[in-house]
Order: sequence, then structure tokens, then C-alpha cells
Amino acid sequence: MMATQVRAGIAAQVTVIVTVVERPEPLDALYQEYAAVLDSCGRSYEFIFVAHPFFHEMLEPLLALQRAGEPVRVIESPRSIGETALLRMGLADARSALVVTVPAYRQVQPSAICDLLAAVDGGADLAVARRWPRIDSKVNRFQHLALHLTAGRLANGTLHDIACGVRASRRDVLRAIPLYGDFARFLPLLAIYNGYDVIEIASPQHSSDRSRRVYSPGVYVRRSIDILGLYFLLRFTEKPLRFFGLIGAVLAGTGGIALAVMFVQRIFGQPLGNRPLMLLAVLLATLGVQAIALGLVGEMIVHFNASRRRSYRLREPAAAEGDPPPV
Amino acid sequence: MPPTSLLALSIVVPMYNEEESVSPLVDAVREALAEHPSWELVLVDDGSRDATVRIASTISAADHRVVVLQLARNYGQTQAMQAGFDRARGRIVVSMDGDLQNDPRDIPLLVAKLEEGYDLVAGYRMRRQDKVVTRKIPSWVANRMISWLTGVRIRDNGCSLKAYRRELLDQLHLYSDMHRFLPALAAATANARIAEVPVRHHARRFGVSKYGLSRIAKLLADLLTIKMIATFRESPLAMFGLGALASSVVASGFLAAWLLSPIPNAYVFPGSALLCIALAVFLTMLGLIAEEALQKVRAEEQLERFESRAVHA
Repeated sequence: MMATQVRAGIAAQVTVIVTVVERPEPLDALYQEYAAVLDSCGRSYEFIFVAHPFFHEMLEPLLALQRAGEPVRVIESPRSIGETALLRMGLADARSALVVTVPAYRQVQPSAICDLLAAVDGGADLAVARRWPRIDSKVNRFQHLALHLTAGRLANGTLHDIACGVRASRRDVLRAIPLYGDFARFLPLLAIYNGYDVIEIASPQHSSDRSRRVYSPGVYVRRSIDILGLYFLLRFTEKPLRFFGLIGAVLAGTGGIALAVMFVQRIFGQPLGNRPLMLLAVLLATLGVQAIALGLVGEMIVHFNASRRRSYRLREPAAAEGDPPPV
Repeated sequence: MPPTSLLALSIVVPMYNEEESVSPLVDAVREALAEHPSWELVLVDDGSRDATVRIASTISAADHRVVVLQLARNYGQTQAMQAGFDRARGRIVVSMDGDLQNDPRDIPLLVAKLEEGYDLVAGYRMRRQDKVVTRKIPSWVANRMISWLTGVRIRDNGCSLKAYRRELLDQLHLYSDMHRFLPALAAATANARIAEVPVRHHARRFGVSKYGLSRIAKLLADLLTIKMIATFRESPLAMFGLGALASSVVASGFLAAWLLSPIPNAYVFPGSALLCIALAVFLTMLGLIAEEALQKVRAEEQLERFESRAVHA
């Protein structure tokens, strides 16, 4: 393996961050495959493997590579943390101006990363691979569809494969996008929200990515909650009352109308005391008021924090030609 | 924080897909301010997809008084305005629309009024040139509601042509769609002295109007927010306490209905009363949490204000 050698003190052009968090393939083989691709498009590189402690054993071959002088660094998180936190750790350590993130398994043909890097050179802030043409199993396709009918709509149909983890960007861009919770998965959506240009580049799906993936029910519950959180974050961060107010207005409105109808019926002689429907109506009304009250607290927090939080981002003047200076 | 070198006057103009209006607008501003010693025009592009930025940049390259800011995406008029305010170096800042419906010849009138000792001078459109059903009537209703709810009597909140003192803008931070309620916010949170002057209004010459009737629900939510901020900014707990009190009163009503009910087992009444009591407890706790969440921010805000006052003094 002829790695493009990086002299001490000068950063490589590209940092590849591999998050080892689920279904990892042999990591040394993965490294060699991606390294060969980067060699082929003439980029110098360093690799950072950020690993969940569960995969401790799989890191040994990487350490062997490191001892052999390959530009590989291994970070093992001290405790069980998610992909987003692992990515943050990797970003904190990245030395190059360009960053490629890949999962520890193959989703697309590795050669895609050259195209992604070219797109970033061409002005995109974030280039994401899209698994296309797709050779996926039916179950995977169904999950893909479900994801894009929900979270995908937040991008107004501009993204076709949010879940593909093969992405290239500039380090400064990735560091500027607030990443927490489980939101690394939705990075392209967050990038668009923050006003970055996102480009999708089609690359044939890798044959090893077609196997049926079924997760535990808990995973689906967590994902659903994430999507709800994302929806709120992207659409209502600055106007919580519009979200809670709508829910509250529907609830309180339904309850209020039911109460009004029963009240009129009471005037015409039908007693109220034996109508359980009234309990439901009062319940709806109180729930509605609670939702609106929560929205108001949200608005108050936004209002008081407005001075601390810029609600826009300016586009920087076009960057100068050529490689960014080494850091 | 304001930049250190101050000019006399900054004009801030948010622009969204206004390629036809840019040049005539700049010309009109130049003409209107020909006598004025030092001014700058800050054009804020709000993620336009037409040639707005290109045209504006060309003008800016030839005339250093014209500054172009480009937002990274289409954020909305409020954010564009705030970006302009953040960049403006004028001791007086004037905001106006980028669609030529406002007339730059009114700028000196606003500035003169401001110099009589006001913090904010709002223009109101005389003989407004807009469609009656989709623009004038909703706008009339909205203005009435804003005046009534906030107690700030502004005839025309939707008119973008306004002049502000730098010191006032330093205290305001716009977000969401708040530019429409700027006078109400300024009065509620910064005790601004506000005046109005009549301004000219032209029919739209180019492009299409960027508003629609769908704003009413949003407007209602925003109004509720403004009302809350104007009234309960100092004490959110008081607001939630009042809500809890109201809920308790309703609960008592249900209990009374239970006692007076002719039906023997009218359990829906005590049930409803319990729900209302639960709501009262919830609101009280929510009020406490709100106070908690705001405590630190408020302390910082107060400090900032005193510091900013010291800078301007």
C-alpha cells in the first residue's frame, strides 16, 4: 500500500472520518480501499477512526497500520455514545481543511468520494452521495421511502438519500453546523437550514449495502422522535407558538365547541350532569390551554435569547482559487 | 454592538428577487440624498434567485456608499432587516422596502422628525396603492388589532419606511416575523418614543407581491406573543398565575354546579373541576419554570443594556 506520505507538520488535504458505530466491516480493508481511491485522485489524506467502545476488538488492525506508518489515527470513545458525538470528536481532531465522512461499512462505490471532493472544490459547501442506481432489498426501500416522506419533506424534495453517510465538506462548515442528539444522520437537512449549498451526487449502491436491515422497535421509536424534533427545530425554532398554538387551538377549539353545544342543549332542558361527553370536552379544552401555554413559554425563551443568537448567516465572499492554506 | 466609525445615516433595504428594482432604487436614493453629507445604502439580499445580487454588486463596486450583504439562503424580511441593522454604521438608520413602493424622497422627512427627539419614526402610507381585498382590508384589521392589543397606536405597521436611532436598534433583536411589530416591541421593551409621519406610496412597478392572505393565523400567534411580551415581560409567573387563577374560578363553577345539580350522581361536574384544578397546577409550575429559564438571560441583558448606555453616553 503506497500511501501518499504526509510530512510532519504539514496537514493532509483531506481528513477522512470513519465513525464505527454499527455493522462495521473489517476496518483495515476499508481503510485500504478508500486510501487507494484518494491516491487515485491525487489527494493526500489522513484517516480518523472514531469508535464506539463496543467495537474495541476491531481496532487492532488499525493500530497495526498506524505502527506501519500509515496516516491513521484511532479515537475510542470512553463510553457508549452515538454517531453524532463520535463525529464531533472526529471533527475536533481533524487537521485538514476538507473532511470526508464515511460510515464503517460500504454504502456506495468508494470512488464516489473523489466526485464528492471535486464538488466541494467546485463550490458546494456539502456534497453527499446518493445511492443510485439502487439495488436495495424491499424492506430497506420501504424504510427509505418512509424516511423521505417524513424528514425528506423538510428539504422540499431536493434530497433523495438523507441516510447515506458518505459526505464531503469543508471542516469549517461542519464545525459551524450545530450537531447534537442524533442529528448527524440528518446533516444535509441541517446544512440547508443553515444556508449552506448542498449537492447530491449519484453513485451506484454497493452490493454489501443491500442486505435487509431490520432494527429493534426501540430504534424506530427513537428515529420517529428524532424526526419530530428535527421538524420542530427546522420549522419552528424561532416561532414555537405557531407549532404549539396550532395544536392548542385545535384541541381547545374542539373542546370549546362541544361545551358550547352542550350548554345550548342545557338551556333547552337537557341536563348536563349525566353527560360524560362534558368531561371529554373539558379535558380537550384544558389540554389545548396547556399547549398554548407551553408555546408562550417557548416564545418568551426565544425573545430573551434573541440578542444571543443570530437568526441569519451571511454568505462569505467567494473564496480565493487554489487549495486552502494548511492549518 | 455598533461598528466604531459612525456615519450620519444608513438606509437598509431588504431585497428578494428585485432585479428590476435595484438600479432605479439606488438612483432614487442618490437623488433624494444628494444634499446629505454622509450616508450609506445597505442592500440586503435575502437569497434571491435572480440577478439582484449581481446588479447590486456592480453598483456597489462603483459607488462605495452602496454596501451589499448576501444572506446564505432565503431567511425572510425580518432576518434580512436585522442583518442590515447589524451592519449599518449610521447614527440614524432608515429601513424601507426594495420594491419601489416607498419613496426615498420621504427619508429626509423621517430623519427631521426623528431629530425632534424621537427614537422611532414610522411612516404611514397615504393613498395606499394596493388591492383592497387581499391587502388593504387584512392590513386594516391587523393594524387595529396590533394597536388594541399592544396599546401602541401605529396607523400602519406594515409600512417598512421607518427611521430609528442607533441606540434603539442596539436594544432590539428581530427574529421570526417580528419586523412587522417593531414599533410595538420598541415601545414595550425599550420604552421608545415613537412618532408617525405620512409618506408617499407607489403601486408596485415590477415583480410580484410577496404576501398573501394565509398570514392571518401566523399573525394571530405573533400578536399573542407580542401581547405577552408587552404585558408580562417583567413577570411571566404573573401571567401564568392569572391563568391558574382563572382556571380555579372555572373549577369552583363546576363544583357549584355539582352542589346545585338536580341529578343525584352528577360526577361529570367534580370530574371537570378536577381537570381545571390540574390545569391551574400545571400553569403555576410552568410559570415557575419560565422564571427559572429566564433568570440568567435577564441578568445578562440588564448588564448589556447598562454597558451599551455607557458607550453611547
